[in-house]
Amino acid sequence: MESTLAAPSQSASSESPIVKAIGIERVYGEGQAEVRALDGVDVSFEKGRFTSIMGPSGSGKSTLMHILAGLDKPTAGSVEVDGEEITGLGDSDLTELRRDKLGFVFQFFNLLSVLTAEENILLPLSIAKKKPDQEWVDQVIDRVGLTDRRSHRPSELSGGQQQRVAVARALVTRPAVLFADEPTGNLDSKSSEDVLALLRGAVDETGQTVIMVTHEPDAAAHGDRLIALRDGKLVHDAPPVSADNVIELLKTLG
Amino acid sequence: MFRLTFKNLWARKWRSLMTAVAVIFGIALVAGTYVLTDTTNQAFDQIFNESLAGTDVVVTAKSEVDQQDGSTPSFSAKVLKDVQGVDGVRQATGGIFSTGAILDSEGDSTGGGFAPQFISSTLPETFDTSTYPEGHLPTGPDEATLDEAAAERAGIEVGDTIQLVGVGKAVPFRLVGLMRLGGSSFGGTSVAQVDLPVAQKLTGKEGQFDQISIAADTGISDEELRDRVAEVVPNDVRVETADENADRNASEIRESLSFLTIALLAFAAIALFVGSFVIFNVFSITVAQRTREFGMLRTLGAGRRQILRSVLIESFLIGLFGSVIGILVGYGLAAGLSALLKAIGAELPANSLVVLPRTIIVSLVIGTGVTMVSSFIPAIRSTRVPPIAALQENIVIGGKNRVVLRTAIAVLLGLIGLVLIGSTLISGTDGGSGAASIGAGAVCVLIAISIFAPKLVVPAASIIGAPIEKLGGLNGRLARENSQRNPARTAITAAALMIGLALVSFVTVFASGLSSSVNKVVDDSLPGEITLQGTGGVLPFPAGAIKAVQQVDGVEAASGVRYVSVKVDGKTAPISSVDPADIVKVYTVEWKEGSNTDLTGLTDDEIVIGDKLADDVGAGVGDTVTLVSQKGQEFDFRVRAVMKTDSIELAGQGIVTQTAMERDFKVQSNAVGLVKLDPGASLESTQSAVETALKEPFPTVDVLNQGELKEQQKSQINGLLAMIYVLLALAVVVSLVGIVVTLILSIFERTRELGMLRAIGMSRRQIKRMVRYEAVITAVIGAVSGLVVGVIFAFLIGIPLSGDGFELSYPVGTLVVILILTALAGVLAAIYPARKAAKLDVLEAVSYE
Repeated sequence: MESTLAAPSQSASSESPIVKAIGIERVYGEGQAEVRALDGVDVSFEKGRFTSIMGPSGSGKSTLMHILAGLDKPTAGSVEVDGEEITGLGDSDLTELRRDKLGFVFQFFNLLSVLTAEENILLPLSIAKKKPDQEWVDQVIDRVGLTDRRSHRPSELSGGQQQRVAVARALVTRPAVLFADEPTGNLDSKSSEDVLALLRGAVDETGQTVIMVTHEPDAAAHGDRLIALRDGKLVHDAPPVSADNVIELLKTLG
Repeated sequence: MFRLTFKNLWARKWRSLMTAVAVIFGIALVAGTYVLTDTTNQAFDQIFNESLAGTDVVVTAKSEVDQQDGSTPSFSAKVLKDVQGVDGVRQATGGIFSTGAILDSEGDSTGGGFAPQFISSTLPETFDTSTYPEGHLPTGPDEATLDEAAAERAGIEVGDTIQLVGVGKAVPFRLVGLMRLGGSSFGGTSVAQVDLPVAQKLTGKEGQFDQISIAADTGISDEELRDRVAEVVPNDVRVETADENADRNASEIRESLSFLTIALLAFAAIALFVGSFVIFNVFSITVAQRTREFGMLRTLGAGRRQILRSVLIESFLIGLFGSVIGILVGYGLAAGLSALLKAIGAELPANSLVVLPRTIIVSLVIGTGVTMVSSFIPAIRSTRVPPIAALQENIVIGGKNRVVLRTAIAVLLGLIGLVLIGSTLISGTDGGSGAASIGAGAVCVLIAISIFAPKLVVPAASIIGAPIEKLGGLNGRLARENSQRNPARTAITAAALMIGLALVSFVTVFASGLSSSVNKVVDDSLPGEITLQGTGGVLPFPAGAIKAVQQVDGVEAASGVRYVSVKVDGKTAPISSVDPADIVKVYTVEWKEGSNTDLTGLTDDEIVIGDKLADDVGAGVGDTVTLVSQKGQEFDFRVRAVMKTDSIELAGQGIVTQTAMERDFKVQSNAVGLVKLDPGASLESTQSAVETALKEPFPTVDVLNQGELKEQQKSQINGLLAMIYVLLALAVVVSLVGIVVTLILSIFERTRELGMLRAIGMSRRQIKRMVRYEAVITAVIGAVSGLVVGVIFAFLIGIPLSGDGFELSYPVGTLVVILILTALAGVLAAIYPARKAAKLDVLEAVSYE
């Protein structure tokens, strides 16, 4: 597989970060049963970059992403998304935030089985009652390679195609940040490669910011930057070199 | 496995509770009905036993023909002399106990609604088991006592004046005492006592008794004395021991109440039928959701039988729980039903509520039985889960054979239903039995429709969803798609509602047809302007009222109409009597064979018979028919003409003269009076002149013009309709509970999907709206199909009845209101599920397995 990676864009790093997390702690339970999922994480994400978050099971990588996306609230610390502090926001403000600034791709596709591929892609716009920019929509659909599958229902699509619909759905609103939670966890290697190439392409061609949680070294190697967590702490933050290099890293993390 | 069953139930306690609600309502009505009727029966037993405590043997008249008003004949007072001569009779006395009216000094009724009022003679001390908490027994012809409860209701005190009306003018009495019978309550019934000769005169029974009470000498048994008395009395009377008499009276009451029991149990059956749909649905969904769990149990070595048993035990426990709660609710409901009956003027006597073991056993058996039967198919389905299901994401169980079987059953049931309906229509069976067989056919068709319903849901939801999509955009679209996603589930939820609404719309259309048929009879058959009725349309009024009205200026003609039931060729038929001179001016007869002159010229030995009776007994003009009176006497009448029978049988199945009615059948009071005004007379002033003329001497006569008559009839029909609505509401509420449960279970299934929608920006309000729309779609599918089915049934059942002059009319406005109310009920049903869906934590939803 392809292992040469685009170098991180220097110009982007000088800008103020699009997502900034300071002193994030997340504690579940109390007393004896207390679990520190995140134990003081400071991390920022620059615009237009593709970051992979890795770590063994229980390292806190999913929790971190959930907190960054405003899906979960930290026990301590603060998160800013696109200059806005989100940790204190109520449900309706968070809903607005998700509508306007965030995109999601999930492990289990999470498409609506009753809608066609195109309808699924347009769903976030319908929810927000926004008029779709047809040119952009066509472009997105074209990019994910589903132009001839527009009117198919999810049940008529392969897993890879379904996940491409999900990626298109996330891209269609031009979110400030696209969060991907194990997007290849349920796909074969060919489909995984397609989806990762899509994410990569979105970053390179349109300056999309992508934050992806994964436990697959091959997937992580597509990013510009790799952060790794262990026991709730940030233990690694550097550009990935190759998949092999990532595997080595994972070994050291245990 | 048992422990697992309990833990499962407990883990899904909320769901189990909602499932139990499906039987709670029906069982509550079953238990409530039994408690109510048992309590009433026991109260009557007590009344009869207490009132006969001082009596050993009772003589009453035999009744050969049951009268519509339940009255019994009197017999000659001469019998008392014979009885007193019998060896062993210590004391014997004659008594009167007849229906009448008890009014206050103003002439206003002291009772309410349909509760009967009685005029009774006082009894000598030996037989009188009443106590007099205030005052004393009447000691003169102008004194009376009243039962304590009636006095309290009407706010009358000792020393006040009351008026009693029997067959003549109202007579004033001074109230000298209040009477109480042991610990019994009479319900809404009131009793006034006067001296025997006064009672005889009031009720038109001079020289007659309703009853002879006999006390035995010591040393002679009741049975022995009964047999001795029986030897000396004429054969038109019946001699019984006090116990036998009490038992017979009690069982007659029981029989007349059995109609109420059956009617209430029918509504309970409807609620349970609807509930069984809900139970079926909940279990189907639960079993589907637990597929992986069943597969896992199978991999661990659980057998099919164990799986089946665990599901059935679960449904048994839910049914048992629902039944127990249902019995408790039913106990409360009995009080509520009694209040409902009181509200429509049919208060029943009651002491403390009676719960027989039968009530509890029947309720438990039916409640658990219905639950287990309804869950049987889903339980069987759970056993078909293969062990591999534990390892797979989505596994669909089931095969084509069940589809074929289901279709076969549906087609078979539908055919049976249609054949039942069709054969009735073709054979032209009229009246009650025709309607009953069509009703049975309707139930079959209803079930068949329910089985086919899943096929209809998808197009139905598209049509009903169209405006909602216009209105609600994406939320509407998703709601519509969701309702179509699992057609079987939506279908059963909607079908449950359909049944309730089919019945609602059926009775609505039917009642409106009844109203319009009555209106038609009033318009077509009653050319007069004014109708006279006894108070509330129940109690007959004195014949003298007609004479009084005939004297009023502006009145051209007036005729009273009296009724009696007789037997002709062994069949009971109601016949009427009229004043031949005036009748054709106030009543339009449609003739089959004859003309108005046959009515005006009717002699006291002639009869005009209805075409139905003529067919039944094979009699024609010139033939002689023999009418058997209530006392068993036979009277011959020559058939003068044959009329067509109208739908409400205003003239019964035959018309004789007033003279013949009084001479042969001893009926002295009018049920109805028909009045025609002079051509130029003003209705308003003449009506008030008639009212004034009647007010003093005949306060129990209501004077209604045709508009008021129609209104009164309509309000009576609507009163009954309201009661039916209340009872059907139980079934509708159960089906709404069905919508609630189904929605919640569907939301539970769609957790991940809802989480995704929230993650990509759907607000809580949008989620709620989506759930609400889905509920409305389901409710409207149920409502529309229910309305259609109900209207069709009403139409079909109207066909055989149209022979009786029944005419359907379609209250479109009311039906539309029902439809809108149902849609609103859908919104109501969605409140909780919508809140639950909106509250789903986005994080939990997206990471939900």
